[in-house]
Amino acid sequence: MIPEWMKKTEDYVPPADGGAFYYRTLKSLGGIMSRLRLESGREGRFSLPAGVRLLLMIALIILVSVTQNNLVIMAVGAAVLVRLAMMSAEDISAVVKAVLVAVIMAVVIFAPAVIMDPARLWNSLRVVAKILISVTLVGIFNRTTQWNHLTAVLRKAHIPGTVIFIIDITFRYIVLLGNLMQDLLTAVSLRSIGRNDKKYNSVGGVMGVTFLRGTEMNKEMYEAMQCRGFTDDYEGL
Amino acid sequence: MHIPENYLSPATCAVMTAAMVPVWVHSVKKVKEELPKDKIAMVGVGAAFSFLGMMFNVPLVGGTTGHAVGGTLIALLFGPEAACLGVSIALLLQALIFGDGGILSFGANCFNMAFVLPFVGYGIYRLIAGNNKEASSGRIYAGAAIGSYIGICIAALCCAIEFGIQPALFHDAAGNALYCPYGLSIAIPAMMIPHMAVAGVVEALFTVAIYAFVRKTSPDLTYDAIRLENPASGSKKGHAPIFALAAVLIAATPLGLLATGTAWGEWGADEIAEISETGAPLGYTPQGMVDGFAMEAPMPDYTLGEMNEVAAYILSAVIGTALLVIIFKLLSQALRGKTA
Amino acid sequence: MIIELKNVSFKYEKGAEPVFTDLDLKVEEGTCLAVTGDNGSGKTTLFRIINGLSFPDKGEYLYKGTVINEAYLKDNACSKRFHKEIGYLFQNPDTMLFNSSVYDEVAFGPRQMGLRDEEVEERVRDCLKLFEIEDLADKVPYHLSGGQKKWVALASVIALNPEVLVLDEPFAGLDSKKEAWLVDFLRELKAAGKTLIIATHKEEIIKDLADGTFMLG
Repeated sequence: MIPEWMKKTEDYVPPADGGAFYYRTLKSLGGIMSRLRLESGREGRFSLPAGVRLLLMIALIILVSVTQNNLVIMAVGAAVLVRLAMMSAEDISAVVKAVLVAVIMAVVIFAPAVIMDPARLWNSLRVVAKILISVTLVGIFNRTTQWNHLTAVLRKAHIPGTVIFIIDITFRYIVLLGNLMQDLLTAVSLRSIGRNDKKYNSVGGVMGVTFLRGTEMNKEMYEAMQCRGFTDDYEGL
Repeated sequence: MHIPENYLSPATCAVMTAAMVPVWVHSVKKVKEELPKDKIAMVGVGAAFSFLGMMFNVPLVGGTTGHAVGGTLIALLFGPEAACLGVSIALLLQALIFGDGGILSFGANCFNMAFVLPFVGYGIYRLIAGNNKEASSGRIYAGAAIGSYIGICIAALCCAIEFGIQPALFHDAAGNALYCPYGLSIAIPAMMIPHMAVAGVVEALFTVAIYAFVRKTSPDLTYDAIRLENPASGSKKGHAPIFALAAVLIAATPLGLLATGTAWGEWGADEIAEISETGAPLGYTPQGMVDGFAMEAPMPDYTLGEMNEVAAYILSAVIGTALLVIIFKLLSQALRGKTA
Repeated sequence: MIIELKNVSFKYEKGAEPVFTDLDLKVEEGTCLAVTGDNGSGKTTLFRIINGLSFPDKGEYLYKGTVINEAYLKDNACSKRFHKEIGYLFQNPDTMLFNSSVYDEVAFGPRQMGLRDEEVEERVRDCLKLFEIEDLADKVPYHLSGGQKKWVALASVIALNPEVLVLDEPFAGLDSKKEAWLVDFLRELKAAGKTLIIATHKEEIIKDLADGTFMLG
């Protein structure tokens, strides 16, 4: 029944091909997915409500951004570092990694300006310090907040129900469609065994199927909601 | 193209966010009008799709890869207004959850990537592909490619202008920039060359590859199909209002930037006193604000007297201790990782 | 020994409960191993390790005597040869389909192997004929029924002519006629010297086809 070539054992030497884009995408996607799934932030028993912390973070970011007073920057910086030092080593290293990337990028961007005109040094250093503080603030907020609490915050802020519904749905679809994308990319990588001259067909396929599945799930979800008595009143959700 | 925190002045961020408000309002209205009730959640799908699309590495020559924003693609699939909302939500999540793009610069990032990019890209697509069912595949894909390319380049240009006006508007008395240090003459080429040479190409390839797949497999799901099938909602008013809005914003935003820019940049302690007097019934200048907004001195704490030196000394000690604790924790974690 | 796992432990992340610990497994070339175990016993994880998608935290995985780890698979040529020799059918095969026609789906692998166009064409036609899905060649895989998707996914894996075939619940949801056909097909592959690793709970199939059973959990 099976054809002759299938009975043979092939001594396969793969032709050279540079592309490993799906490995990289899988890696960055895997990082995002595990953060959304597991490390949604540990909220301590005594931590402030997410809304208060969000406001506090934004207020501090605005303060740091607006002020030109080094003492204020230093004070916020000290507070942020103390808060960071109180976290677990695992959380610290995650925050520090993000901060390092941002600071290195800032130094690379500002260095030519300083070299062209050394008088810019102090202001540039101040901006880098501000970037360091802002990124650390966001990092600490992420590590200490469960993202599903964010929608509760928005609800308290009297954001329209439709908008909150859409944001909720977005979280759910990022996880569902992200899992699908991981599977599809894995399938592409397992069968990418040589030279692919039509890489864009795979890109179109992976994202295209993700889109099709997204619209289909959306239809199914709406039907399921209707079956349970939903009357198109998104505000009441 | 995600602008991080502190590259733009808070004033610029405020203006850009204010400029986005009418766009968001218009988009919400339009989406509610245009999409049937069962498609409201499609904006969520669009946001998730946009978020995930920005993760995607697109292959380039020689094994290198690049990232696309996908703004035009989302507009082609979901419609430009839904794209605006979807990309905005994706950017919000990136800023809040992953620290990608600043929180204050959220409005500016939305202006570039959720407003300019999808609307310009979609507008050019419409111009090239025409407005009827009989458009040939060639014209449709040419429209998608050119639209997405120009869309991202114009968005990059907006981004470059936002950067480039910073040193002129926000500098200290000595003329040193307080935020982004590069003027228009550097910011524009620095942003435009890589976008025109690389990112624009990535965006166009990404857009056409996915749009072609969807048109081939499920042509009824594209925005074109929804729009043409349901002319009452889609082409009745067309997108004229949003283009008028865009024109007004593009004209008004620089004015707003200049107006608030000078106001913020040139604030001295006297003006603060004035503002506080007229603004607040108390009629005095809070000491903290005098210090906080003193922009003339590059190193204000050098001139602020003994109290501040002591404060700075204490703060240095706190920072030093905190840093030591952090380093100690990181080291012990690294060591534990090795022995385990 | 074509596949050998020595003392393999695996957990999803630091500090989590391990999925399995100190697992030993040997598979001889040209044999068929049935893998059983409850849901959540780590079948899919085991299959991911065998396919080089996950790596053991402790212990070693050897394929034809070579240790398969991240460093080995970083080499493009090594990883491509490895993936060519091991075929993997997902438990949910419709997440494996990403092309816009069934023909392209099956041709995706063979087109990359440096074969002549006629050889690619021949391989694809053979596979479509074998699975009796020739009339689907121009259809969009996404819009097919569940059973058809499974056949297309399997055809696209078989088209690579792998040495080892890892199948995650291939018999789930098949009617008795299709099941009998798949058992016959797998028996022929085994006779041709291919190695089979199959997750299934169907006793009669295990008795019929497998040389050994590995119980997880």
